[in-house]
Amino acid sequence: MSERLLELTQVTKSFGAVRALKGVSFDLRPGEVHALLGENGAGKSTLIKIITGAHAPDSGRVEIGGSRVEGLNPARARALGIACIYQQPALFPQLSVAENIALRLEPSRMLRTIRWSERRRVAERLLAQVGAEIDSLCEVGDLSMPQQQLVEIACALGVGARILIMDEPTASLTQKEQRLLFGVVEDLRQKGIGIVYISHRLEEIFQLADRVTVLRDGESVGTFVASEVTEAALIERMVGREVAQVYPEREGEVGEPVLTLESVSSAAAGVGDVSLVVHAGEVVGVSGLVGAGRTELARVLFGLMPADRGVIRIHGERVDIDSPRRAVSHGIAYVPEDRRRHGIILEMSVASNTTLAIHERVFPGGWLRSSAENALASEFIRDLGIKAEGPHAVGASLSGGNQQKVSLARWLATRPRLLILDEPTQGVDIGAKAEIHKIVRRLARDGLAVLMISSDLPEVLGMSDRIAVMRNGRIAGILPGGTDARAVMALALGQA
Amino acid sequence: MEEPTAMSNAASQSASSRPGAARGLASAWWLRHETILAVLVVGEWLFFNSVGRRFGTWDNTFDILRHSAEIGLLSLALTPVILTGGIDLSVGSLLGLCAVVFGKLWRDAGLPVAAAASITLVVGGLAGGVNAALISGLRLPPLIVTLGSFSLFRGLAEALTRGVDTFTNFPSGFLFIGQERWLGVPAQTPVFLAAASFFWIWVHRTAQGRSFRAIGFSPEGSQYAGIPVRRRVASVYVAAGVVAAVAAILYTARLGQAKADAGTGYELYAITAVVLGGTSIFGGVGSVHGALLGVIAIAILNNGLVHARQPREVAGMLTGVLLIVALSVKPAIQRVALSWSRRKPGAKV
Amino acid sequence: MPDRAQDVSGPPQESGASRGPRRLSAFRAHFREWTVAGALAFLLLFLLGAAPGFYQSQPLLSLLTRESPTLVVACGMALVMICRHVDISVGSLFSVCGVVAGLLWSSRWPAPAVLLGAVTCGALGGAVNGALVAGLRLPSIVVTLATMVAWREGLRWLRQGQFVNLPDGAQWLGMSQWGGQTALIGLGLLVFLAILYVCARIAGGRYIYAVGSDAEAARLTGIPASRVTFLTFVLLGTLTGFAAWMGALQSPQVDPKAGAGLELKAIAACVVGGVAVSGGRGNLWGVLVGLLLLVCVNPALTHLRVEAHWEKAIQGSVILLAVLADGWRSRRR
Repeated sequence: MSERLLELTQVTKSFGAVRALKGVSFDLRPGEVHALLGENGAGKSTLIKIITGAHAPDSGRVEIGGSRVEGLNPARARALGIACIYQQPALFPQLSVAENIALRLEPSRMLRTIRWSERRRVAERLLAQVGAEIDSLCEVGDLSMPQQQLVEIACALGVGARILIMDEPTASLTQKEQRLLFGVVEDLRQKGIGIVYISHRLEEIFQLADRVTVLRDGESVGTFVASEVTEAALIERMVGREVAQVYPEREGEVGEPVLTLESVSSAAAGVGDVSLVVHAGEVVGVSGLVGAGRTELARVLFGLMPADRGVIRIHGERVDIDSPRRAVSHGIAYVPEDRRRHGIILEMSVASNTTLAIHERVFPGGWLRSSAENALASEFIRDLGIKAEGPHAVGASLSGGNQQKVSLARWLATRPRLLILDEPTQGVDIGAKAEIHKIVRRLARDGLAVLMISSDLPEVLGMSDRIAVMRNGRIAGILPGGTDARAVMALALGQA
Repeated sequence: MEEPTAMSNAASQSASSRPGAARGLASAWWLRHETILAVLVVGEWLFFNSVGRRFGTWDNTFDILRHSAEIGLLSLALTPVILTGGIDLSVGSLLGLCAVVFGKLWRDAGLPVAAAASITLVVGGLAGGVNAALISGLRLPPLIVTLGSFSLFRGLAEALTRGVDTFTNFPSGFLFIGQERWLGVPAQTPVFLAAASFFWIWVHRTAQGRSFRAIGFSPEGSQYAGIPVRRRVASVYVAAGVVAAVAAILYTARLGQAKADAGTGYELYAITAVVLGGTSIFGGVGSVHGALLGVIAIAILNNGLVHARQPREVAGMLTGVLLIVALSVKPAIQRVALSWSRRKPGAKV
Repeated sequence: MPDRAQDVSGPPQESGASRGPRRLSAFRAHFREWTVAGALAFLLLFLLGAAPGFYQSQPLLSLLTRESPTLVVACGMALVMICRHVDISVGSLFSVCGVVAGLLWSSRWPAPAVLLGAVTCGALGGAVNGALVAGLRLPSIVVTLATMVAWREGLRWLRQGQFVNLPDGAQWLGMSQWGGQTALIGLGLLVFLAILYVCARIAGGRYIYAVGSDAEAARLTGIPASRVTFLTFVLLGTLTGFAAWMGALQSPQVDPKAGAGLELKAIAACVVGGVAVSGGRGNLWGVLVGLLLLVCVNPALTHLRVEAHWEKAIQGSVILLAVLADGWRSRRR
């Protein structure tokens, strides 16, 4: 075997009750592009964070350049030649491009004279290498996201990284920029740099990668030589599993339309021309790649971002939603994606979190009534099977799944007509996941209209009555429930 | 966010795991910040009682009450402000401005005391409204906004009095509030108690008070829950303005004069009292009764040191030191705990 | 999977996205500095017509001499604000350092040793703030509020408000008044230029910008963010000590309240000069013109027969206006 730049053996990592990695092995050779493929929550980012030293593995072995490394941390990883290009670049917005690059390259000694001409020259050379036409004296804050990524790549080139991790580098690039980037990747490969390439876009993977490793539920499903495997086989591997998982059966009648969108657009959210109907008693799944505009659509519907064109109707009545408060008054509830930041307030109790959106109703006249509040919270704890010490338990003390249920309880307490769920089971363990599915199904049976955004394809397929697939901020197509995964993937990838 | 408990950085990790870990301890009432502070206050009282001869008398107790009324009021007003994660440095200056406005309305405009006082309250509310508009309306940082209005309000007070003008000779009926006793207690006590009850109920017993905490913990999360964040934030700054006006009237009545330098440095004492009382400067955690205990602790310290024949400046200096100590105890312990946990092999942060 | 998917989404632009925005012209990039400079020029021109008395050389020289310590402190304050902090204890520290310098002088220490004493005293004061802010991550405003009072009351307690009489030959370092004044102004400008150089050409100076821009990213880049923050406070303390020495030279006695209100003046100069309170952005030239604008307002008012009591109110409104302008600018971006 040829030498290995990086080798992970049987690495495990758990976060509380969630086992993010269950013994994953992975290796990278010089001059190789090794793609990492998997759905959201499969464990890709945890794996990356272990390689970059941001997380320490619970067990397993990490070897870099042939020798075992213990207690890896970000600084050490950098010194060992590991560079990572995240989707959110860690750059200084107020400083110039040249300075941003220089801060990565130059040694960190405080009493050093700076030669700006030299800085500029180096920056321009590196920018030219990645084919970016960026003025090195611009402030980074004025650059677009793809431009900032190119600056990041230039930094990685500059520090002479031997292992380069690219996390969805093309998610926001144009065709032309993609071609440039692929050229850069090809160059890097020629130089003997190993690249871990993460992407949802299969066509890119086939174009670039030498090998592909598929992760699923924290386990490696297999490593394949790219030229010997087909697209269909990879999709199969990615989504294959949960065919076995049982989803609650659909029951009940689909009723009147609750939410009607007529060519809704929002420039701020990057959502264009969305038309969709959600009926009472119906679960409409929203699928699509990361960055396809799903969460943005939810934010528009909940008044967090302005809609500038189109009509939103609730029960046929035209409404204008300019704030979350207004959305709530129209009977819209939104269980957000990032539950730790938006879904619940970690420092507050289950009871306080449950009543946060319904102060007017549980607290008539604005007076706190802890008996009513506790009764309500206890009711939800029982109904949704929230595992907590009681209504007074602090949000931070609950597991992810139970936090999600509290977030759900808050919104069910508003007695909504339309429930928007954004990644309702992301990072939730299997047991809690099944419970949440049952709850959603029960709610739909009782006549609630549900719009469920999810990147978990089997979940969308198993739960939805209809599936809206989004791509580039638009609805690429609406499929009936029970469609097969390939059709959804094809629409999401734009291959239909 | 992929993993529920996987956090991108150590800061958020510590922020969320600590309340969980400390919960078992914090929920015991005898380990609450307020309880410990109450014990300390009693100890402080006993200490000074043994040092100063006249310290423990009723007369002196009323003296302490009388002298802490204004700072007490400002602390009450600052509690909700700090609970929402904000700060108001301008309350002391606003006290000065309101005192001058009150004096001018009464003496120069010839208004009766009651009318002058009412207009002063409105002025205080408007001045608080200026802060509120800049902070919640335009989303400017409260720190620098109130630093600016700190200078502006004091400057207006100086400009109105040309730096020298002093208002005196108020009618005795008005001075009664500040200097006499009513039903055996200092006459400002009822005013103060009313304000304290109002703020206690507002913060601890109403839905609005609940939303202050929510905003302090997580402004974004509160917005996602449909809480009218801007309106709530604005209300606490306006309330602080009105209370500063009330404090200005009590101040004028107590000293029998209104000058542009009234209440200089009071914001520091008020902030110290609130923080000493267990309110987190980062928002969310805290209580009105804690702030009151903080005021009492500082007032006893000031008064007790005088009775122990120490110069007044020592008390001022100790207040500053006290504030730093009150702030650093928790982070210092957390740092020590963190460095302990770091010693475990491989647990690099 | 990605932490914030919403931020990267949106339909990709169809063409030319790799072509960067053009760099701002020198004028646009320093818009704030030029605006303030314009306002200053306007004020000076106006005074030329309305109150030529303002330009008499001796009062003008005295004004500049009086404010040269302020310039030194404002330079340090700018660095602290670029680092996304603030220090309101500099006024008290200035008084303490001035008294220390005076006491050393009156016990016949040589002038360089006096300077060293004042600077050390200032550095220690800055180190206390820096340790609490950088070490314990306490909010700088509250920390420095506390140290402001502690220094002020401590000084009052120890000295009971007494002035310190300087020995003969201490004032203006034994030079003539004119010589002393030009020397002090020159010294102030020298410090300004030195800090300007540090900001532009020394790695440590640029680290302050990086830490103020994004402390987390700085840490990831390998910049010792806490140490940079600590040293920035120490530097401000040192400059305050130096400024106090410059202030003490100007009269035969040291006023123990000489620093009262200095912190506001320094902060106002920074805010007016375009140092962003949100950190990471600021230019010392802006601080210089901002300070000049502020200090010219008061004598201008006197010459225009407007009462001087408005000084503080005007200072406050200028701070608020500057913050407002910053808010507008950041919203437009």
